[in-house]
Amino acid sequence: MNSLRTKPEIRNELKFQLGNIFVKEFPNGLKILYLQKDKLPLVRLNFFIESGSKFDSLSFPGLARLTAAMIDEGAGGLTSLELSDGFDLLGTDFKISTDNDFIVFSLQSLAENIGRSLELLSLVILKPDFPLAEFEREKKKLLVNILQLKDDPERIADQIFDKIIYQNHYYSLPVSGYSDSVEKITLQDIKNFYTNSFKADRSFLAAAGNITPEEFYQLIEKYFQNFVPSASKVILPDKLNPSDKKVFVYNKPESVQTEIRAGYVSGKRNMKDFFAKHLLNTIFGGQFNSRLNSNLRERNGYTYGVSSQFAYLKDSGYFLISTSVNTENTFPAIKEILNELYKLNDGVTTDELTFAKTSLTRKFPLNFETYRQLTSNLSALAIQNLPVDYFNSYLKNLNAVSIDEVNSEAERLSQADIKIILVGNKDLFADEFLKNGYELVEVDEKGNEK
Amino acid sequence: MSLFNLTYTKTILENGLEVILHRDDSLPLVAVNIWYKVGSANERKGKTGLAHLFEHMMFQGSENVPKEMHFKYIQEAGGILNGSTSFDRTNYYEKLPSNAIEIPLWLESDRMGFLLNALDEEKLENQKSVVINERLERYDNQPYGLAWEIIVKNLFPENHPYSWPTIGFKEDIESFTLEDVRSFFKSFYSPSNATLVVAGDIDQSETLALVRKYFNEIPSYETPAPPASVDFQLSENIFIEHRDNVQLPRLYLAFPTVKSYQPKDAEFEILSDILSGSKNSRLNKRLVFDEQIAQDVSAFQFSGKYGGMFMIVSTAKPGIKISELKEKIFEELSSVSSNGITETELTKTRNGIKSNFIASMQNLDNIADHLNHYNFYLNEPNSFEWDINRYMSVQTENVKDVCYELLNKKYLELNITPKEN
Repeated sequence: MNSLRTKPEIRNELKFQLGNIFVKEFPNGLKILYLQKDKLPLVRLNFFIESGSKFDSLSFPGLARLTAAMIDEGAGGLTSLELSDGFDLLGTDFKISTDNDFIVFSLQSLAENIGRSLELLSLVILKPDFPLAEFEREKKKLLVNILQLKDDPERIADQIFDKIIYQNHYYSLPVSGYSDSVEKITLQDIKNFYTNSFKADRSFLAAAGNITPEEFYQLIEKYFQNFVPSASKVILPDKLNPSDKKVFVYNKPESVQTEIRAGYVSGKRNMKDFFAKHLLNTIFGGQFNSRLNSNLRERNGYTYGVSSQFAYLKDSGYFLISTSVNTENTFPAIKEILNELYKLNDGVTTDELTFAKTSLTRKFPLNFETYRQLTSNLSALAIQNLPVDYFNSYLKNLNAVSIDEVNSEAERLSQADIKIILVGNKDLFADEFLKNGYELVEVDEKGNEK
Repeated sequence: MSLFNLTYTKTILENGLEVILHRDDSLPLVAVNIWYKVGSANERKGKTGLAHLFEHMMFQGSENVPKEMHFKYIQEAGGILNGSTSFDRTNYYEKLPSNAIEIPLWLESDRMGFLLNALDEEKLENQKSVVINERLERYDNQPYGLAWEIIVKNLFPENHPYSWPTIGFKEDIESFTLEDVRSFFKSFYSPSNATLVVAGDIDQSETLALVRKYFNEIPSYETPAPPASVDFQLSENIFIEHRDNVQLPRLYLAFPTVKSYQPKDAEFEILSDILSGSKNSRLNKRLVFDEQIAQDVSAFQFSGKYGGMFMIVSTAKPGIKISELKEKIFEELSSVSSNGITETELTKTRNGIKSNFIASMQNLDNIADHLNHYNFYLNEPNSFEWDINRYMSVQTENVKDVCYELLNKKYLELNITPKEN
C-alpha cells in the first residue's frame, strides 16, 4: 500500500477551557447566567419562565401553549403588529415556544439594539394586554394546528409515546392540548394562568453576547426590576402507574412507512449516572456508527436512520428509540431493535467505550462555537440545576466512568419495560406480530385504548 | 464592514483541483468542505436521483477505508460530517479540532481517487434501500410531501435540468446498477470538477502542502459539458389538482423567474419577505391575521444555476375554498404592483437580511460552505459584502416593478386537496 494512503495519526490532544460563566440573582428571584463572547456584534438570550404545560395538563391541556401564543398579541399599549414591527425594525429575531416545563422567549439582537430589544421583551413579559379580538384568532389557529396533527405520523407517534409511558402523570399530555380541551379555554383562563405563573422566581435568563456581564445585568435590572416573585410554591403530584401492555398501534391505513417509538421512563437527570448513560447511548444509538444505526440502516437498509437518546425534562427523563421504516419491514425492524436491546445484557466492549470517550472528548469544543450553542448550554445548567463549573469538569467526569458502570446501565436498559408505539398501516404488519406472539393494542391519537 | 471581508488564497493544483484556504483562529477548529460541480441537473431522465444516491455511496468506504469507517474516523477525531445534494452541486463537509486536519484531507482524497474498486453490489443494494426509505420518510409519507416534485415536473419545460426532483423517482432509484454508479463517478468526480475549501485555525502554507500531499496523485479526466437551459416563460396557466391524505386544502402558485444572482433575483427575494416574512407582512396580515382564512402563508424566490421560480404557498382554514385564498393573494400582489411598498417595509426587510448575514458568520462550517457557494456561482469566494450590497441597493420602486412583472406572468397553480372518504 502507498504510505500516503494509511490513516494519519492525531498528535497533541487539544485542551479546552470554557470562558467564565457569570451568575447573578436579583432580589426578586430572577436568575441570570451570562457568558461574554466577542466574536460578533450579537447578543442572544433565552428567557425561561417555568409555566409550561405541566401546570395545565391535568386540568386544561393547551392552556400554557395558548397563553404563550397570546402573550405577544399586544402589550404595554402596543398592538400585536406594532410589537412585531418593533422587533423586525431592529433586525431582532424573536421567538416564543412552549414545552412541558417552560415558556421560552428567545431573542437574538445586534449588540447595538439589545437595549431596545429588551425593552420590547419586557413589555411582552410584564405587560401583556390579552385583547379579546386576538384571542379568537389565536385559539382558532391552535385548534387548526391540532386538527393538522392527523396528517403527521411523527407528531402522532410522539404524542402517543408520551401518553403510553407517562400514563396519568403531568408529562403525559401534549403541549398543544386536545381540540376538546382547547375549545373550552376562555380569555379569563389565560389571564389567570399568566397571573399565577409568570413570576420572577420561576424565571431565569441564559445569555451570551459581546457586551460585558455588568452591562447586561444593568439592562436586565432596568427592564425587569418590577417582575414580581410568587407568593407560594406550586407542588405537582408526581405519580406514575405504567401500563402492563407492550405494543401499541395507531392505524393509519394510507401510510407507506411505519413510524416507530420505543422507550420507557428512565429517570431524572443526575450527576451519578448521567455520564454512564450518555456513553452507553453513544454506543447504542446516539450517533451514526451506533449499534442501532449500523444494524437497521447500514446492514439491513430498513430505514433512512434510527437513533436513541436519554431525554431529560426538568422533573423526569425517558429513554427513546425513534425511527421510521418502510411498512413491510415493520416487524423485522422491531425484532432487530429488541435484539439489540437484549444484547446489551452482555455489556459493551472496551473498544466501543474507548471510541465513545475519545469521540465525545475531542468533539467537546465544537459544542461552544455559536451564540445559540452557548445559550442552550447555559440553559441546561439552569434547567437541571447543575454546578457552574459543570462544563470545565465535564471531560474529567466523562473519562472517569468505568466499563462496569456503563455495563450496569446497559443491563438496566436491556431489562427495562420498553413500550413500543407503531403508527402505520396496521393490516400490512399485524399478522407478523400476532404470529410471533405479540399482542397489538390499538389506540387513538391521544394514546387511549380503542 | 470588515466583518464581511474575508481573506483567502486560491490555488489550482496540476490535476485541476481548486483549493481555497481561509484562516480564522477564533477557535481551534478546522472545516473542510468540498463541492463537486454535479447535482441532479446533470442527470438524465430515467436515471433521476443518481447524483444523490452517489453521495450516499461516497460514505460506503473507499480502497483504504472500510465500510462504515469513514464516519467512524471523523467521529473518533472529534468531528462532525455530512454531505448534501442539490440541483446544482454535491457537497461533503467535516468540522474537527484543528489538530486533526489530516484525517478529513486523507478521507476526502481517498474517496476522490480510490472509490471505484471498493464499490460492490451489496453496498449498492443497501444504499438503494436506505435512499428509498429516505424518499418515503421525507416525501411520500409527509403531508403535502409530493408538492415540490409535482411543481418542478410541470413548471419547468420537458428535459429542463430542474424538471425532476433531486431525490429521484422511486422506479429510477430501484433501477440503478453498479455500472451506473461507476460511470457517474468517471464522468463527474474528477479533481478538476471540484473545489476544496479548508477554513479555520490553519497555517496556510502547511495546509497547502498537506492538500498537495493527499490530492496531487489523483488523475483528472474530462467531464461532460453542463446541461443546456434556456430562460422560459409559460405560454398559458397550468392548473393541477392533487388529492392527498391531508385535512386542509393547500394552494401553491409558481411563477418562472430568474437564475441565481441574475438581475432581479434579489428583488424577488425581497418581495417574498415583504409578502410573507413577518407577522405584519402583506399576505400574512391579510390572510392569517385580519381575515383568518389561511392557517399559514409563505412566499419565496427559489433560484439556481439553471433556473428560478417564485412561489406562494398557503393553507386554507377549515371551510375556506382555495379560490378565495387565491383571489386575496392576487389582490395583494396588485396592490404592491400599483401602489408600491413603504420605506418602513423595506427597512424591516433590509435589517432582517443584515442581521441574518451577521448571524451566519458564527459557524466555521457555514463560512467554509459559503466560500464554496460564492466561488461556484460568482467565481469569487469573498463575496459576502458584495452580496449584502446586492440586497441593500434594492429600492422600493424595484420591488414594485418585479411585483408588476410577476402579475403579468403565466403561472402554475397546484391545489392539494383532501381525499374524500
